Amino acid sequence: MPLLELRNLYKAFGGLQAISNVSLTVNEGEIVSIIGPNGAGKSTLFNLITGVYQPDRGDIIFEGERINGLTPDKVTRKGIARTFQNLRLFTHLTVLENVLIPQHHRLKSGWLAAVLRTPAYLKEEEEMRKMALEKLSFFGPRLMSFRLHQPVYVLSYANRRRTEMARAMATGAKLLLLDEPSAGMNPKETKEITQIIRRFRDEGGYTIVLVEHKMNLVGEISDRVVVLDYGEKIAEGDYKDVVNDPKVIEAYLGRREE
Amino acid sequence: MRNTLLTLATVGLAILGLYLLTQAEGSSGLLSALTLIFIWGIAAVSLNLINGQLGILSLGHHGFMLIGGYVTALLMLPEKERAPFRTRLLSDWARNHLDLDKWLRGAGLDFIANSIDLKFVVALFLAGLAAAVVGVIVGAPSLRLKGDYLAIVTFGFGEIIRLLPNAPEVAALTNGPLGIKGIPGDAGTVWWTFFAFLFVLWFLTRLKFSSYGRAFEGIREDEIAAEAMGVNLAYHKVLAFTISAFFAGVAGGLYASYLQSVDTQTFNFFVTFFLLVAISLGGLGSITGAVLGTAIVVLVRIYGGFLEKPYPAYVGYLGGAVVMLSAFAFSAYIRKARRLRPVVETKHLIFGALGVALLLVTVLFRNEPWMTQTVQFFGLRKILLAVILILIMIYRREGIMGRAEFSWKLIFGPREDIPTEEQRKQDAWLSNPDLNPDAAKKEDDDASA
Repeated sequence: MPLLELRNLYKAFGGLQAISNVSLTVNEGEIVSIIGPNGAGKSTLFNLITGVYQPDRGDIIFEGERINGLTPDKVTRKGIARTFQNLRLFTHLTVLENVLIPQHHRLKSGWLAAVLRTPAYLKEEEEMRKMALEKLSFFGPRLMSFRLHQPVYVLSYANRRRTEMARAMATGAKLLLLDEPSAGMNPKETKEITQIIRRFRDEGGYTIVLVEHKMNLVGEISDRVVVLDYGEKIAEGDYKDVVNDPKVIEAYLGRREE
Repeated sequence: MRNTLLTLATVGLAILGLYLLTQAEGSSGLLSALTLIFIWGIAAVSLNLINGQLGILSLGHHGFMLIGGYVTALLMLPEKERAPFRTRLLSDWARNHLDLDKWLRGAGLDFIANSIDLKFVVALFLAGLAAAVVGVIVGAPSLRLKGDYLAIVTFGFGEIIRLLPNAPEVAALTNGPLGIKGIPGDAGTVWWTFFAFLFVLWFLTRLKFSSYGRAFEGIREDEIAAEAMGVNLAYHKVLAFTISAFFAGVAGGLYASYLQSVDTQTFNFFVTFFLLVAISLGGLGSITGAVLGTAIVVLVRIYGGFLEKPYPAYVGYLGGAVVMLSAFAFSAYIRKARRLRPVVETKHLIFGALGVALLLVTVLFRNEPWMTQTVQFFGLRKILLAVILILIMIYRREGIMGRAEFSWKLIFGPREDIPTEEQRKQDAWLSNPDLNPDAAKKEDDDASA
């Protein structure tokens, strides 16, 4: 059974058909990249999966369960977490708090128990902290020790990206949707993030779908590449096959005048 | 451990200080100021939960306070006070059923009914509960809105609630626009309000530093991200709104007891406005700030009376000169602190020149009749508050405390967000001279020394 399955999705904004008849399956443990020119519908696809938009037609099936129609917080609870193209961190909160908030939905204690600091609540809080540190340690010592207690607004851009990924992991999701994880990073940082994404899969056991513009990153880590253009899936398969596909070349570079 | 001891010691000292104050002669003015700070402090801290921590502009707080005030009044009112307005407009039902004494005795809780103090605890709790119920009713539909729209809707609801006691249909209960007088004042004393204040501070601080508090702040920082991270927006917004309404109700009950009367003018929109000023002054999102802001506003209002007394006119001129000259000095100081050039700008010189001119006028014409006649500046306290607010908004927009809270760690350490020498050495970024010139410079200094 595939982890995530999209069946004939359609989504229109007024007269613009943003997504039309897109089907896609993602198996457990895969890294799937979605590429396409600007405006191809990549981010819309993410927003459909995570419940920000509702599809006009079609089904989104996660672990055999239909999840379209759910609100974003419920989708996250099912096990799909995302990062944002333009960072959406809790800027004035500390790194640690940023990674604790996504675990809040797993909290069993009620608010009164939290105020009274019952033993059950304190235990849960302790576990949340442990999990937060575990996810942050994916990125080495960069976000640990004193940085844990620094507000996000003092972090560098690359560290913010890392914090956002740690935050998505801390939701307890199985499937991570990364929207341009290397945006705004220099080549060295991009290389590093490539390795980290691979480690998410190999060590963390996550399945990953990512939207990306940097082709060398895509080529290096993707098991499968899906190409969107004008809301339609025009190619799917191995990176090498896809980039040599005449339809893909046409989408990116245009048709040659005969 | 150390911090808990420090907190307990502070509370102990506060209790001792308060005790000595109640025993001292001529301290009634200060005591009533403190009482008001505690009452308004509760209201401000509760408003801060929505406006500061949840980041939602709500303008209906006076409505919740009014509900608390009326409920406390009705539950605590002695039978003889209640008789005149209840019998006039029917309501046998209300007379027979809305009676806290009867409820308590019915439930076999005579010992509470016999003690007016315990009865107050129950009444205040019920007042909070009533406000919280209304909070849910108001919050559930309106919290779908955002920003200005929500502010307008909450303001509307607040006014509806405020004007409701005037309606003839409920006048049998509320005595209409005349309001209720003769409420026992026990809960309005400094001790009551002090302990209620302590409890609310304890409760809301605990809430703030719990997982729920973090979720509230996540919603404030970025609603879309919070939702994408699994936070149920509707639930958490209504929860915060309800808790806030509960404590607003308690504050309203305490205030009604302090005044020993309540009517629809007691809790008009200016109450919410006053609270907003207090929390903006202290720093939105900071409980410490809300308390500080309230204290400033209350103290200016109570002890600013001397500003509005009649004085000879030259005092006014002199005051004007002082204000102008200090504005000049202050602007120069700020520009210097911010390393702006030139330190003194031409437009600021105008202030200085005006100040000197006023000073000269005062000295030269000090014996003229128009200089010695008596004048009075009504409303100067409010102007002073407004000026303080303007200055804070210009020079420290986040308020006195910003989002920070008072904590013992801030004073005695250790500060966890500042790297130790050890951590500094380990941190790649901090020890890399290309990225961090300060570190390189420091090493040079060390080497040369």
